[in-house]
Amino acid sequence: MGTGEPSGSGGGAPCGGGAPCGGGPVIEVEDLVVEYKTRRRKVRAVQGVSFRVNEGECVGFIGPNGAGKSSTIKALMGFIFPAAGRITVFGQPAGTVESKLRIGYLPEVALYYPFLKGTELLKLYGGLHRVPPRTLRERIPRLLEAVGLSEVGDRLIRNYSKGMQQRLGIAQALIAEPECLIFDELSSGLDPVGRHDLRRVLLDLKARGATIFFSSHELHEVEALCDRVIAIHKGEVLFDLPLAALKERAGAAGLEECFMSLIREREGER
Amino acid sequence: MRQRARNVRLIGWTLLLEAWRRREVYAIVLVTTALLIGLRCVRFFEMEELGKFYREISLKVMNVTTAATVILLAARQLPREFSDRTIYPLLAKPVARLEFLLGKFLGVMGAGVFCYALFMAVFLVGSVTLEAPMNMALFAQSVYLQVLSLGVLASLVFLLSMLLNADAAVTIAAILYLTSQVFMTLMSYLYDYVSRTGRCALLAMHFIVPQLTLFDPSAKTVHSVSRTVVGDAIEQTVVWRALPAGTLLQLTVYAAVYAILYLGAAHLLFRRRPL
Repeated sequence: MGTGEPSGSGGGAPCGGGAPCGGGPVIEVEDLVVEYKTRRRKVRAVQGVSFRVNEGECVGFIGPNGAGKSSTIKALMGFIFPAAGRITVFGQPAGTVESKLRIGYLPEVALYYPFLKGTELLKLYGGLHRVPPRTLRERIPRLLEAVGLSEVGDRLIRNYSKGMQQRLGIAQALIAEPECLIFDELSSGLDPVGRHDLRRVLLDLKARGATIFFSSHELHEVEALCDRVIAIHKGEVLFDLPLAALKERAGAAGLEECFMSLIREREGER
Repeated sequence: MRQRARNVRLIGWTLLLEAWRRREVYAIVLVTTALLIGLRCVRFFEMEELGKFYREISLKVMNVTTAATVILLAARQLPREFSDRTIYPLLAKPVARLEFLLGKFLGVMGAGVFCYALFMAVFLVGSVTLEAPMNMALFAQSVYLQVLSLGVLASLVFLLSMLLNADAAVTIAAILYLTSQVFMTLMSYLYDYVSRTGRCALLAMHFIVPQLTLFDPSAKTVHSVSRTVVGDAIEQTVVWRALPAGTLLQLTVYAAVYAILYLGAAHLLFRRRPL
């Protein structure tokens, strides 16, 4: 795909096929609690979630709607502030400029400045991500080609379809060739071709040693990309297992059935 | 520090580009330009001192419409970032929230100064043919002071837009602007005739609402030079000299303090605001 090697990925050994990854922690979440205030009361979206994502790992974050996936990712990016707990990214508190320097992020709903052109948007985000202008001139056409937007880079974003905006979102997440990618709802808004292209980009980045953490509803997507799966349900971690172990547990029933039975088990415990 | 300045510049430039392509200020710019040209073309009953009349009205129109431009642009920025969700990918980049706010402020100021410069060009072209001398130093100072007042106004609107939605922020900002223009001059007269509570309220208003009239020496500029006919000759007398440097410095500090206070308060609200 030619997205380039993630800068400074260090000694993180690329891992795949369920092999354990040897790198140090990139994302550390400890006893995270996220609360939303309504007029009358506080609602707990995340209660005491802890996990760790190591260098070079590809981790899928799954769970039903309202489980707390997006809240956790928003806290990771510093968009919302935890009521309790600790989050660090590359050893820095989440949301700080230092922590965001090495992250590429794709939001759940990708909306970009409609009156900018695709190339202008990438130039803006690249500039903010401290990519030198000369590097950007060379990198932007390459990235647009990688996400299938090279023909429309000079069009205003308001003329892009939803899928095109999502592809542009992927390009902006990769603009600084980050060491860690955080995607909220990985393939939302993409057609099958877009999903296929995105999977190719991610597999390429994974092979180059990038750390990838993404939330998704699509279990087959998780199965195709991840080394490890973290499931969350009603704000609590349901399981945190390597993909191989999860597959073994699922057996012939398949991942979806396994996931559902684990949810039922947890509901029974309550 | 250099990167921070680059971030602020990039965000400001994006705002300008978007505002231009959205045609957000086209209507105001077109109407004001037409008004300035129209004013110049009308011969008001072959009045003497027509130049002063033209200049006085034109400067008032320019000041009010530039303020309206700044209010409209500044009030929409933050609410639109939230509602369009464009703030997420932007703040996911290594950008501090203060840099984001300053970038938006810079962009709004850029748009305001651009509009003002455009109006000024039309005004000067219209003015050059009129036989009405003007103290050019005082005129240059009034332009500088107008830019300062735009800065105070923009920062106030950013603070309001953190507390209110865009429409409410526009309305309140417009009321405060008009209050500052009209009511504040009456305040000193009113002060002696109101109760103790009323005085406290007036005093509070005096400090909360910036005294934007301080930044408007347009009347002095227009009437800065008087002409009298003495025999066959025309004698020119300077009525209003340029403001002393000390006054200009005090006004600059006044504007800076208010802009920093408003932007600081906006930042305090924004830095811990969940997105």
